[in-house]
Amino acid sequence: MSRFFATGSDSESEESSSADEITPKATGTTFSKQALLLSDDEEDTKRVVRSAKDKRFEELTNIIKTIRNAMKIRDMSKCLEEFEQLYRAFLKSKTIVDKEGVPQFYIRLLADLEDYLNQLWEDKEGKKKMNKNNAKALSTLRQKIRKYNKDFETEIVSYKENPEQSAEEEEKDDIGSASSSKSDDDEDVTAKSLMKKKPQEEEKKAPEASKFLKGAADEESESEEDEESEDWGSDSVDSGGESEDNEGAAASLAVVFLKKAQDGDKQPERKKDDRRKRHKKMEQVDEEADEEGEGEEGGWEKVKGGVPLVKEKPKMFAKGTEINNAVVIKKLNEILQARGKKGTDRSAQIELFHALAGISNENNLGEGILVKIKFNIIASLYDYNTNLAAFMKAEMWKKCLECIDELLDILFENSNIFIGENIAEDSENLAISDQPFRVRGCILTLVERMDEEFTKIMQNTDPHSQEYVDNLKDEGRVCGIIDRLLQYLESKGSTEEVCRVYLRRIMHTYYKFDYKAHRRSLGLQGETKSEQDQEESEGEDSAIIMDRLCKFIYAKDRTDRIRTCAILCHIYHHALHSRWYQARDLMLMSHLQDNIQHADPPVQILYNRTMVQLGICAFRQGMIKDAHNALLDIQSSGRAKELLGQGLLMRNMQERNAEQEKIEKRRQVPFHMHINLELLECVYLVSAMLLEIPYMAAHEFDARRRMISKQFHHQLRVGERQPLLGPPESMREHVVAASKAMKMGDWRTCHSFIINEKMNSKVWDLFPETQRVREMLVRKIQEESLRTYLFTYSSVYDSISMATLSEMFELELPTVHSIISKMIINEELMASLDQPTQTVVMHRTEPTSLQNMTLQLAEKLGGLVENNERVFDLKQGVYGGYFNRDQKGGYQQKQNYQRAPDQRGGYQQKQGYQRDQKGGYQQRQNYQRGGYRNQNQSSY
Amino acid sequence: MGSLKESAVSGSNPLDSPVKQIQIDGLVVLKIIKHYQEEGQGSEVVQGVLLGLVVEDRLEITNCFPFPQHTEDDVDFDEVQYQMEMMRSLRHVNIDHLHVGWYQSTYYGSFVSRALLDSQFSYQHAIEESVVLIYDPIKTAQGSLCLKAYRLTPKLMEICKEKDFSPEALKKACIGYEHMLEEVPIVIKNSHLINVLLLDLQEKSTVADKHELLNLSSSNHLEKSLQLLMDRVDGMSQEIVKYNTYCRNLTKQQQQKQQYLQRRQQENTQRQSRGEPPLPEEDINKMFKPPQAPPRMDTLLIAGQVNNYCQNIKAFTSQNLGKLFMAEALQGHSS
Repeated sequence: MSRFFATGSDSESEESSSADEITPKATGTTFSKQALLLSDDEEDTKRVVRSAKDKRFEELTNIIKTIRNAMKIRDMSKCLEEFEQLYRAFLKSKTIVDKEGVPQFYIRLLADLEDYLNQLWEDKEGKKKMNKNNAKALSTLRQKIRKYNKDFETEIVSYKENPEQSAEEEEKDDIGSASSSKSDDDEDVTAKSLMKKKPQEEEKKAPEASKFLKGAADEESESEEDEESEDWGSDSVDSGGESEDNEGAAASLAVVFLKKAQDGDKQPERKKDDRRKRHKKMEQVDEEADEEGEGEEGGWEKVKGGVPLVKEKPKMFAKGTEINNAVVIKKLNEILQARGKKGTDRSAQIELFHALAGISNENNLGEGILVKIKFNIIASLYDYNTNLAAFMKAEMWKKCLECIDELLDILFENSNIFIGENIAEDSENLAISDQPFRVRGCILTLVERMDEEFTKIMQNTDPHSQEYVDNLKDEGRVCGIIDRLLQYLESKGSTEEVCRVYLRRIMHTYYKFDYKAHRRSLGLQGETKSEQDQEESEGEDSAIIMDRLCKFIYAKDRTDRIRTCAILCHIYHHALHSRWYQARDLMLMSHLQDNIQHADPPVQILYNRTMVQLGICAFRQGMIKDAHNALLDIQSSGRAKELLGQGLLMRNMQERNAEQEKIEKRRQVPFHMHINLELLECVYLVSAMLLEIPYMAAHEFDARRRMISKQFHHQLRVGERQPLLGPPESMREHVVAASKAMKMGDWRTCHSFIINEKMNSKVWDLFPETQRVREMLVRKIQEESLRTYLFTYSSVYDSISMATLSEMFELELPTVHSIISKMIINEELMASLDQPTQTVVMHRTEPTSLQNMTLQLAEKLGGLVENNERVFDLKQGVYGGYFNRDQKGGYQQKQNYQRAPDQRGGYQQKQGYQRDQKGGYQQRQNYQRGGYRNQNQSSY
Repeated sequence: MGSLKESAVSGSNPLDSPVKQIQIDGLVVLKIIKHYQEEGQGSEVVQGVLLGLVVEDRLEITNCFPFPQHTEDDVDFDEVQYQMEMMRSLRHVNIDHLHVGWYQSTYYGSFVSRALLDSQFSYQHAIEESVVLIYDPIKTAQGSLCLKAYRLTPKLMEICKEKDFSPEALKKACIGYEHMLEEVPIVIKNSHLINVLLLDLQEKSTVADKHELLNLSSSNHLEKSLQLLMDRVDGMSQEIVKYNTYCRNLTKQQQQKQQYLQRRQQENTQRQSRGEPPLPEEDINKMFKPPQAPPRMDTLLIAGQVNNYCQNIKAFTSQNLGKLFMAEALQGHSS
């Protein structure tokens, strides 16, 4: 008991004052009171003799208790510390011990402690788990106690022989006649009965406690020992006894509070309360064991929960104080000062702010102060989570949302409030006067923070749960707030602020597909009247909004980042709505691809998202090459998921530590903004297929054939490696199967693999204009299959009729004509068109395999010569680099010169009839390669 | 088999070699051809032992027997044991039993390899007059018997004895791919009785198979040769790259060493001027371990092989060109 109060010293006065209130009310239990009073009298006679002993023994028991607690939580270092203290205390009380004999409880502890330590020592597993300090303390303590216990050997042995009896003895000895009636009863009961008795005892003790509070120190110690002795009844009840003891204390506390709260305290309620208290109390004890000093204070606050608030509230302003601006501001600052301090209860602070807001409202102190308080409320709401990485609780965030809403309400209603970050603290004008209010604070920052928190909440919610959907519903509110803020700032804020808020607005718009505009553009009217109304009320298309906002930013923004983001979002939005040319032109104009690698990761992610969206848009428009080029960067790395910020790749810890992982996690895009990765991959693979298959067919024998898409080749190889080829299941298998069909020029099979039920549901249906895309795709497949067919089988034909081809590939004759003409012009197909008969006449000028081989050999020899020259260089280089380098250049040039006519040219000359062909190939290849590169460089 | 006696005499004939000419019995040639036809397919190689004796500076090969093609399963097969057995048995039937070398079939002329070098070295090391006969079945099938005898040059023997294939050693030995193998002229000799029989047979035989020589579809052979050539050229490139990196590393290290030595010297002079004892000389080679030099023998062998291919192709194409001209002339004549 006394210990309890000793620790909670700061609130003692309060306690005792409230205890005063209780005493008259606690008269209900007369019986126990009687007994206590009786014992009081009896004790008086012995008091003088016992006080010294009591004092010492009390000290000892306190320490013993701490040790026992430490034992329970296996805190060895604490144990050791306390044991040393105990040892010292025991020495101090030597005289008394000499007189009275070694107290039994002391022996008990020694014996128990030794047993306990031995037991711990044996437990190898547990020892391993211990931290270093504890393990060290354990071994030292064990040695110490061994040595020490030698002095008390006989006592310990006798105790061990008969623990029960000795306990009894001790009790009798100690307590004597004091409250004997109770302790006598207790002695006989077993652990079980003791447990059963608890409630009774509590009842008894509650008033007892309140009684003791009056300041009878002796009695306190008395009861302390009393309970202690109960504890010692047997080892098994130990913890029970312990908690019971606490319960006693807690119960009294509970009475204090309960009495105050409501007079007629009922048993069950109280018990529940008790249990809670007891629990907390246990925690506190533990904490105490850990850190004596600070822990107690914190513990106190926890135990009391909301109670002190209730008490503090009236304290906020002394009764009768005239509540005016100055006072409120002073109070506000007072609360603010607690902010960020360790012991401050953050939720309590928020409550306080609310209370303050209420007060200022009641007293009509004007909007200025209210705004100020609101700012602080929101700020402290954000403060609630100390860790920036952790996300706010949804409820907290909603509270915050409301607050911001209210704040905006106030700001809109009162146009005479100026807010800004730049207003100095002392130039604030919060009082009602003729001058407009001036309040320090930035609403934009608050809204931005709120938005970020929203993103964080979304990041941390399971995207497949109902919770996510519920949270997502709030997005509308966020948008609403941003819209309102936008209105507000448009009239009041600086351009920079406007830019920032515009960007927020853009960020909430760009990724949403505007179905209404889409439908409108298709010429469909809303089906129902209400929808039509909604449309009308909605007003602007998102495209128009985006355009307006972005253009403002382009014109006004001075920070590069906002402009970059705006451009990217704008492009994304264009691409999403299939405005390919606008999107592409904007992309080209922005020149972002040159320096995007210097941007910060979130912007890079946005860039990647935009590129992907652009690629998909190009695909929808049938610009296969563009689509492929746009997607190449993202897809070729194989890290699309990571690059788009849609999830982390499994990687070993060497590449990133936990810290980095956390940072990366924070960058993730919330689920509702994700781009479908399968769609992305499918679009990429299909466009790669449409490009690669004809190319492969055209360059079957080319030694230096280049892969257009590595990833596509990888998929093909994977497909080939399959030992047993079943019908395709996944999207990739479909594409691979289709590629194989296309290689043979079998466009029907290819078509059936690319467009079927499975692929529709997986991929194609995800596009807004599914039907159009599918038609485009069929067309492309037919065309490319035709090309592939011609490349592969042209050597078999002498001539082929275009009508046959158009029939085979179900293409119109002009299309076939144009495709073949293009191929002839590009020197891909060695043939000529015979107009009158509408046939293609092959020239049969493909180089033979031997010729191909010789070409390969020539290239290899070229490489060899180059390598050889390098060796030669090195040898020469030893003597003088300058001269030789020049020489080497010359030599090489000569070599090249020689080589070219020798191998290629010479070959060409010999094979007179195919004079230009090889050159043509080469040229075209270069052209194509260059073309790709050019495009890559120039367009993206 | 058009000609009875074919001698492929080419290459220089060093004077210091104990063998200047090889005389092969017709029996040996037929046995080798038979061996390949029975056991060799495609690129598989068959090998066997040559028996005979040296007469003055002429090596007469009078008999041979094949090495059995042994598979992976019978590991306990002892080749030496088998050879000894064979030779003993042959001696019993009064056949020359002196071991004078070995023979090997080849696939499109690819035989210059490390394995051949090693075994020929051990042969020549043990029996000085040993030769290796290289039989090209593909050319033979086309109508011209191709059988060549090679010996390692004394220079190469020296190097192989030293077992030092580092660039420096090869440089010192002044050995190029041309001087690795020497070809020994071959004479095929039959007994008079056999000659008589053959002449007799020639009278009776039809001339049908003579046109095979005029076959114009040569691209297959060329393609194969080119493929092999390309493969070797690739190997060569790799070797050169290896050597190049080695050279670069070496020079880099040399520079570092130089710098280190300079620094050390400077320090020492400074110390001397201050009157302190100079720093002890440390083993500089320990600090700068010279990089491992790539063995150059492989490069040499590859070069030799490439040379070989080129010769083959050259011979083949010149033949073909002749045929083409002939065909052209014929066509012109007929039209």
